[in-house]
Amino acid sequence: MTAGGPWRLAWRRLRRNRVALGFLGLFALIVVFCLAAPLWASEVAHTGPNKTHTLEKIQAGGEEREVVNREGRPIGPQWFEADGKFFLGADGRLGRDEMVRLMYGGRTSLEIGFAAALLTTLLGTLFGLLAGYYGGWPDTLISRALDVIWAFPVTLLAISLGLVLAVGGLQIGPLHLSGSSLWITILIIGGVYVPYMARPIRGEVLALREREFVEAAEAQGAGPARIMLTELLPNLSSTIVVFFALNIANAMLLEALLSFLGVGVQAPNGSWGTMLSGGLDLLTSAPLLTYLPGAMILLTVLSVNVFADGLRDALDPRSKVRIEAHSGLTKAESVEGIAP
Amino acid sequence: MRKPGLVLLVLVLVAGSAVGLAACGGSSGKEGGTLTGTYASFPDYLDPALSYQTEGWTAMYDTYLPLLTYAHANGAEGSKVVPALAESMPKISNGGKTYTLTLRKGLKYSDGKPVKASDFKSSIERLFKVNSPGSGFYEGIVGAEEFAETKSGDISGIKTDDKTGKITIELEGPRGTFTNELGMLFAAVLPADTPAKNLTSDPPPATGPYMITNVETGRGWSYARNPHWAKDNSQISEVPSGHVDKIEIKVVRNDSTQVNEIERDKADWMQTSISADEYNKVKDKYEGTQFRVEHPINLYLFWMNTEKAPFDDLKVRQAVNYAIDPEALERIYAGSLAATHQILPEGMPGHEPFDLYPHNMAKAKQLIKEANPADRNITVWTDNESPNNEAGAYYEGVLNELGFNAKLKEINGDNYYTIIGNESTPDLDTGWLSFYEDYPHPNDFFQAMFSGESIAPTGNTNLSRIDDPKLNAKIVKLDEEPLGPEQEAEYAALDKEFMELAPIAPYGTNTVSTFVDSEIDLDKVIFNPTFGQDLASFQFK
Repeated sequence: MTAGGPWRLAWRRLRRNRVALGFLGLFALIVVFCLAAPLWASEVAHTGPNKTHTLEKIQAGGEEREVVNREGRPIGPQWFEADGKFFLGADGRLGRDEMVRLMYGGRTSLEIGFAAALLTTLLGTLFGLLAGYYGGWPDTLISRALDVIWAFPVTLLAISLGLVLAVGGLQIGPLHLSGSSLWITILIIGGVYVPYMARPIRGEVLALREREFVEAAEAQGAGPARIMLTELLPNLSSTIVVFFALNIANAMLLEALLSFLGVGVQAPNGSWGTMLSGGLDLLTSAPLLTYLPGAMILLTVLSVNVFADGLRDALDPRSKVRIEAHSGLTKAESVEGIAP
Repeated sequence: MRKPGLVLLVLVLVAGSAVGLAACGGSSGKEGGTLTGTYASFPDYLDPALSYQTEGWTAMYDTYLPLLTYAHANGAEGSKVVPALAESMPKISNGGKTYTLTLRKGLKYSDGKPVKASDFKSSIERLFKVNSPGSGFYEGIVGAEEFAETKSGDISGIKTDDKTGKITIELEGPRGTFTNELGMLFAAVLPADTPAKNLTSDPPPATGPYMITNVETGRGWSYARNPHWAKDNSQISEVPSGHVDKIEIKVVRNDSTQVNEIERDKADWMQTSISADEYNKVKDKYEGTQFRVEHPINLYLFWMNTEKAPFDDLKVRQAVNYAIDPEALERIYAGSLAATHQILPEGMPGHEPFDLYPHNMAKAKQLIKEANPADRNITVWTDNESPNNEAGAYYEGVLNELGFNAKLKEINGDNYYTIIGNESTPDLDTGWLSFYEDYPHPNDFFQAMFSGESIAPTGNTNLSRIDDPKLNAKIVKLDEEPLGPEQEAEYAALDKEFMELAPIAPYGTNTVSTFVDSEIDLDKVIFNPTFGQDLASFQFK
């Protein structure tokens, strides 16, 4: 069987899974929606995500309307009555365009989701590989370090780190990240989920390590690095891909929570989480400001999760990977086909 | 034949009803009952020596009495200092350095112990032992600074005689605000054996009309009538005896929930001001019957660090003052803010309205052009509580419109003042601030926010770091004099002199709201500008 064989088979299985493909399509739509932010902002809304319009008036529906009235109430959705300006209304008493902020906020949330997921996947795979392959004291060292992180509830750990780093930022040697840098949030979210990927990967590596093809490679004089890269990693690829997709969903959820609590994305950057938090102040008078970012988070996380589920089934239908949600955390255990 | 007995009975009944109706006639209200109130957060402390928040002061105003207190009245009347545990106002002699008072006779704490003159001395000493945030107000007493350092011995400048009730306080120098400071909750008299530690969970015995009976820290607390008030302490006619028999306070974090509870008759009063989201809806529906706007004395402003570029340039600071549009900020505060461009707010002695910087963006940009600051990177600090964070975001936008590269930094409200008051925090360029009076004396604003003496490495209150020797001397001079019309005029002039230097961009004074259940007589509720709603004034209809 050629190297492309299993992937082609997986693609055929995935193609038959219309639900998974449907949600992939939804996710793609959301991504396109967010990527179109600069276009909408410049060509339709004619404003930026942070530009305030508290005292301005617009022409809509043949009349002049205040963006924010004297009582601090923001204008509601104008749809196309104002040629696309304030399509979803204003975001609050600052009078920022809600549609523009939703699109740019989505870019931030997706950016953090992808970057943090990538970081988790890279580090999780690396530590899992090293611990599982070498065993002995490297395994002990890595596993115990991961246990320390694992011991903390992910949410509390992330909140604590966010609180501490929000003010002074992070200094690592010559590298300084300010407290408002998105990289702080990416590093926190990416870091706290590493044990939740490294442990299952380690488990898989422990099983694979005893297989004949690894022994054969060792007998042929292949070094550890080559074995890990050319023998073990390809056999982990389906697991890694599924984990990556799930990590995106987890990262986006955690980012929304941290930003909602004020310890994630920092002003002036906006994300769906910060928009959720801001919308709470106007929950009774302008509930759309809360529902919209909440709906976007829901749809995005749902579409990623459903697609990841379908992807898992497509990549390795014989091995059932049971995903348990535990207090908002994700850990994966294999039931058959992969040793714990 | 008619039955005269029946006719007589009917007449008696009718007459009795008429008398009864007249007695219930509406003007006196109902005595007794249990008042249920809600707070959005538990006070910092329920210990009069430690609390430095409005929530705590409101909670203890009718519980712990100092020698003097603030009149239990609305508005300007509530800013007057009146005798409480002392028989009369202090006699001031020796060039303003000696204060003599006499404790009323026969006063008792809620546990039955007699109140003694020496209890005042031990209460002030306790402030230093517990590192009270209010201890600074009393450091001017002879011997206080040494006591603060060593926490041993006693404060030699306070002399008391338990037999006569005489209390003599010697100050290092004359201090025009000392009468006000004697009326602060920090100076409440407690038994001499009160432990020198935080007593929030087990508050000390009371001298006021109410005593705190049960505390569930973080969740709520209760009051009952002080059993020794009516018999022993009600001679303090300046403090009302209260109408309700019990008060139950619970913490309800969400202010919309608090509003709902009042509307559904599950609570009688909410201490929290109504959020901007519900403010206008509640105001429109209940103003005059259950809702009232109150005017505490405060100032909302943006401070500018005069020691750092670009705000070390007067033209830049003046430009910021011209650029801030009070109308925009009024909308951000949903109509609860009254615009101002000066330091002393309305209601503060010495307030004379003026506006040196009417909104003019063109003029602001011109000033920036003339100043041409090299450093255009600015960090704008604000706390994360709405709408203050929105005010910060608005300010960031204004600075960007002026040609700066401003970046907003939102800090959790619990840590905000600690962080911006620490000089080691980097990039302390400019930011948001609200300042509520400690007592109704203009020195409270000038000393804290503009005196060079107030610049400190931590806990700094002079965030603009302005240190003008000539104006510092005026602050010191006025502080030494008792407040009268002449001093008020000088404070008004000082207000203008500081605003010419523009170390801050003041933008408004905020109002708060009183919202009560329909069973409460709103007209009887007193709002003291310093202590908030007076629990002793609540009465059921």
